[in-house]
Amino acid sequence: MDLYQFKYTFRQRLNFIFGFFIIIFLIIILNFFYLQVVKFNDYSSLSKSNSIKIIPIPPIRGQILDRNGEILAANKLIYSLEIDPKNKQDFDKIKEQLDGIVEITKYDIKKYKKIIKENYYSSTLPIKINLKDTEVAKFIANKYKYPKIILKQKFSRDYPKGKSGAHFIGFINRINKKDIKRLKRLGNFENYMGTEHIGKTGIEFFYENILHGSPGYKKIEVDANNNVIRTIKTIEPEHGRDITLNIDYKIQKVAEKAFGNHKGALVVLNPNNAEVLAHVSMPSFNPNLFVNGIDEANWRRLNDSIHKPLINRAISGVYPPGSTLKPFVALAALENNVRRPPFSIIDKGFFNMPNQSKTFLDWKKGGHGEVDMIKAIAVSCDTFFYGLGIELGIPKLNKVLKRFGFGEKTNIDLPNEKSGLVASAEWKKKIHKKKWYQGETAITAIGQGYTLTTPIQLALATARLINPDYILHPLLKKEDLVPKHIKSNPYDLENQPQRPLEKKTFSLFKSKINGMQSDDLNLIKKGMSLVTKEGGTAAFIGRNSNYNISAKTGTAQVFGLKKDEVYDESKLPDRLKDHALFIAFAPTEQPKLVTAIIVENGGHGGSTAGPIAKEIFDAYLAGKN
Amino acid sequence: MNQSFYKFFENIDRILMALILVLILIGLVTLASANQENMTLFTNQIINILIGMVLLIFLSNIDPKSFLFFAPHLYILSLILLLFVVFFGYESHGAKRWINILYFNFQPSEIIKITIPLMLAWLYHRYQNEIGYKIHAIGFFILAIPCLMIINQPDLGTAILIFLAGGIIIFLAGLPLKFILAGMFSFLISLPYLWSKLHLYQQNRILSLFDSDRDPLGTGYHITQSIIAIGSGGFLGKGWTNGTQTQLNFLPETSTDFIFAVFSEEFGFIGIFGIFIIYFLILYRCIDMAKKMQNTFSRLITASLIFTLFISTLINISMVSGVIPIVGAPLPFISYGGTSMVVSLIMIGIIMSLHSHKSLIAN
Repeated sequence: MDLYQFKYTFRQRLNFIFGFFIIIFLIIILNFFYLQVVKFNDYSSLSKSNSIKIIPIPPIRGQILDRNGEILAANKLIYSLEIDPKNKQDFDKIKEQLDGIVEITKYDIKKYKKIIKENYYSSTLPIKINLKDTEVAKFIANKYKYPKIILKQKFSRDYPKGKSGAHFIGFINRINKKDIKRLKRLGNFENYMGTEHIGKTGIEFFYENILHGSPGYKKIEVDANNNVIRTIKTIEPEHGRDITLNIDYKIQKVAEKAFGNHKGALVVLNPNNAEVLAHVSMPSFNPNLFVNGIDEANWRRLNDSIHKPLINRAISGVYPPGSTLKPFVALAALENNVRRPPFSIIDKGFFNMPNQSKTFLDWKKGGHGEVDMIKAIAVSCDTFFYGLGIELGIPKLNKVLKRFGFGEKTNIDLPNEKSGLVASAEWKKKIHKKKWYQGETAITAIGQGYTLTTPIQLALATARLINPDYILHPLLKKEDLVPKHIKSNPYDLENQPQRPLEKKTFSLFKSKINGMQSDDLNLIKKGMSLVTKEGGTAAFIGRNSNYNISAKTGTAQVFGLKKDEVYDESKLPDRLKDHALFIAFAPTEQPKLVTAIIVENGGHGGSTAGPIAKEIFDAYLAGKN
Repeated sequence: MNQSFYKFFENIDRILMALILVLILIGLVTLASANQENMTLFTNQIINILIGMVLLIFLSNIDPKSFLFFAPHLYILSLILLLFVVFFGYESHGAKRWINILYFNFQPSEIIKITIPLMLAWLYHRYQNEIGYKIHAIGFFILAIPCLMIINQPDLGTAILIFLAGGIIIFLAGLPLKFILAGMFSFLISLPYLWSKLHLYQQNRILSLFDSDRDPLGTGYHITQSIIAIGSGGFLGKGWTNGTQTQLNFLPETSTDFIFAVFSEEFGFIGIFGIFIIYFLILYRCIDMAKKMQNTFSRLITASLIFTLFISTLINISMVSGVIPIVGAPLPFISYGGTSMVVSLIMIGIIMSLHSHKSLIAN
C-alpha cells in the first residue's frame, strides 16, 4: 500500500471512529438529561423516601428419596426464636429475660456466639432453634414482654433414618465463611440470599444445585420507622427439586443390619446399569446432629474417634484387595495366554521363587493338590497365582486391572472419592525410591502387594465381569438428571443436568487384538461359581441356597502394610486382625445383584463377609421371585 | 539547575495535561465525598496518582525509537506474564488474573492494553510497504493469542476491551471493508451460541437490563439504586457530600465502579455536561495529535491508546446509567484503583512522547 493511500484511509477511518464516539456520547448525554431533568421528580421522591426494601424468600430444599419413594431427607416445620441483628444484645440478658419461659442452655449460647462470629445470617439471628410445643405456647402468651424477639416458623432439615445411610445422604450445615467465598467465586452467592444452610457432604453436597433451588423475593414499601406499608411485588421462590436415588432402602436396611457391629463398607450394584442399590459404611453417625451446627462435644466424639465414623469407607476407604483380585489377575493371564487350562500345577502348599531361596506359603498347609485356573479361583490357591504372577509380570497385569477400573475413581456422584492404586515398578521408584522385587510381583498377584482398592471400585470391577460390553458408571441418583461431567464440583452452573450412560459404544474386550474372549470370561466365572460349591472357600453360603451364587473371598493382611495407615493408629490387637473381603453376584445365570464387602479386622473373608452378602441376596431375590 | 529541572517537563503537552488534571481532580473530590469517614482510600489514590505522574513524565521524555525498538520485546514479555498468571497467579473474585511482584499486585492483562497496540503498530510500521492480507492476518494472530489467554482467566470484559484496542489498529491500518462486514456478520450469527456459552449469572446481568426485577437481589438492585442516584441529582445536583444515595449506602462500590453515579448525584446534569466537555476536548486534542503524527507507528498508537481509554469510559458510564450490563469496569482517571490510574497515565505519557518527538522517526 502506498503511503498516500495509507494516510488517506487512516484519516478517513479515524474520523469515522471519532464521529462514532461523539454519537454515543450524545446518546449518553441525552439519557442523563432524561434521567436528571425530565424524570427528576420521580427519582427525587424515590431517593427521598428510598423506602423500597427487598426481602428474599428462601426456597424450600428438595427432599431425598429412595427408589421406592421412601424419604431419606426431608424438611420438618420447627419454631425458633430469632432476633434482628441490629438489636443484637448481650446473651445473658436475653437468657435472663426468657427465664422460666424458654430454657436457654449453654449449648444454645455457644451456638449463638458461633453464628455471630461467622457473621452470616439472612435476616434474623437465631437464639434458640427447635422449640418445644410448651415453650411455643408460653412464649406466645408472654409475647408482649419481648418486642424485640421474633417467633419464627421455618423448615429445618430432618434425616428420618438417623444413622442409616448417613454417608451417602450426607448432611447440610449452616453456611460458613468458606462457603460464602466459594459461592461468590462461582457467581452464585445471590442465589443464597435468605438461605441459611448448604450441603456439606454426600448427596446433599453433590446435588446442592438441584436440591437448593433459587430464592424469590418480596418488594415492600416501608415508612420511616421501618413498618411495612404495603407489599409491592412478590415473586415466589423456585423450590429445590427432589432427588430420587437408585438406593433401595429395603436392601440398605438389610445390609446395615447384616453388618451388625462390624467396621467396614459394602456396595450393592445392579450389574446391568451400575445403579447403586445399597451403600453402607460402618460405623455411622447421626446426620441430624449437624443440621443446625454441631456442638463441640459431639464433634470431638465423632472426629477424634479412632473408628473414624465420618469417613465414607465405601468410596474413601482404601484396602488391599486380597484374593478378590484373583479373578482379574486370572483374566489378565488368559489374555496373555499364561496358564490357560488345561495347564495345571501340583500344589504342595508353598511356592519357591525362581532362582532364589525365598519361599511363599499357601494359605492352606499342605496345599491343594492338582490345581488348574478354575480350581485356583474356587479354592483361592495362592501357590498357583504366585507363579502366574511371575510368569505374567506386572505391566501386563496392570493393563487389565486398569481396564476394570482399578486405580482410578469410578466417578460415582459423591464427593471425596479415592482412586486406590495400581502399583508398578515405576510407581515404587517414584514414591518409595526403591527397586521393585520379584517377590512383590508374586504377592501382588494374590492382592497382598501395594495395590489398593476401594469397595466401590471392587463392586464396579465385578459388575464389569458380568457386563463387559457396557460403559458402567455407578450412580446414586436416578439417571434422568445427572450432570454432564460428573466431577465433584456441584456448584458449577454449567454442569446442568443431562442424561448419562451411553451403552454399547465400545467393548472392554472384544475389540482388542489378542483380547479376551467371552470364553475367557466364562472360565473365570466358572471358577467364581465354584467358590460357593463344595470345596470352595465360601461353600457354606451355597449349601442352603435355592439359587446359585458366584463369589470370591479375600483376606487382606493388615499387619505390616504400609499404605493402610489411616485406620491403623490404634494398638488394639483386634485392629491387627486381617480384613475380610468378599465380592459376589447372584443369581449366577442371570446376575441381578453385585456386591463388594469389606469387613475390617473380620478375619477370613468367607466367614464374616460372606453371610452379609447372602442375607442381602436372600432379601432381594426372595422379594423379587 | 532550574533549567535542567524544567527540561523534564518540556515534552509535556500542556493542553492535554491540564485536561487530564481536571479529570483527576474531579475524581479526588468525588472520592473524598464517597469516603468521608475513611481517608485511607483518598491518600492511597494520591500515591497512585503520583506514581502514575512520575511514569508519565518519564515516558514523555523517552525517544519514540525506543518504543519502536522494544515493542516486540514488550509484547513477548507480556505474553510471558500472562503465562505466569496461569501457573503462579492468585485468585481474587473468582478469576485468576493477578500476580504479585515485589509489593505490587497487578494484572498483566492491564499491561497488555499498552503492549498490544505497540506490537501491532510496530508490525504495520515495519511492513509499511507490504500491508495486505498477509500482514492483516499476522496482526490478527498477534491480537488473538493474548485475547484467548485472557478469556481463559476468565476475564471476558478485559479480553473484549483488548480485542477492540487492537482491532482499532487493524481497522485504521486499512483492513478491507469486506473483512469487517464478514466479521460483523459472523459475530451476529454466532450470537445465540455465544449466549449459550455465558454463565447463568452473566445472562442474568444482561437480562436484568430489561427487567430489573429479574435479578433484584444482585445486580438489578445495584442498577436501580444507581439510576435513582443519577436521576435524583437533577439539574444542579445535591451538592458535594450531600448525595443521600451515596451517603446512606444505597449505592454499591462508590469508590470504584459506581463513582460516576456519586458524581452525578452530587453535581447534577451541569456537572455531567462539564465532564463531557472535558472528555470531548481530550478526545479532540488526541485525535488532532494523531493526525499530525509523522509516521505510521505513532499515528496508530496514539489513536489506539486514546480510543482504548474512551471505550473504558463509555463502558463505565453506560453501565452506571443502566444502558449496558454491569461488567465491572473502572472509569479512567476518576475511579479509585492503582492499576487503572497508572496504566491510564502511562498511556497519556506515551502519547505525549510521540507527539513531542514527532520528527524523530519519519517514514
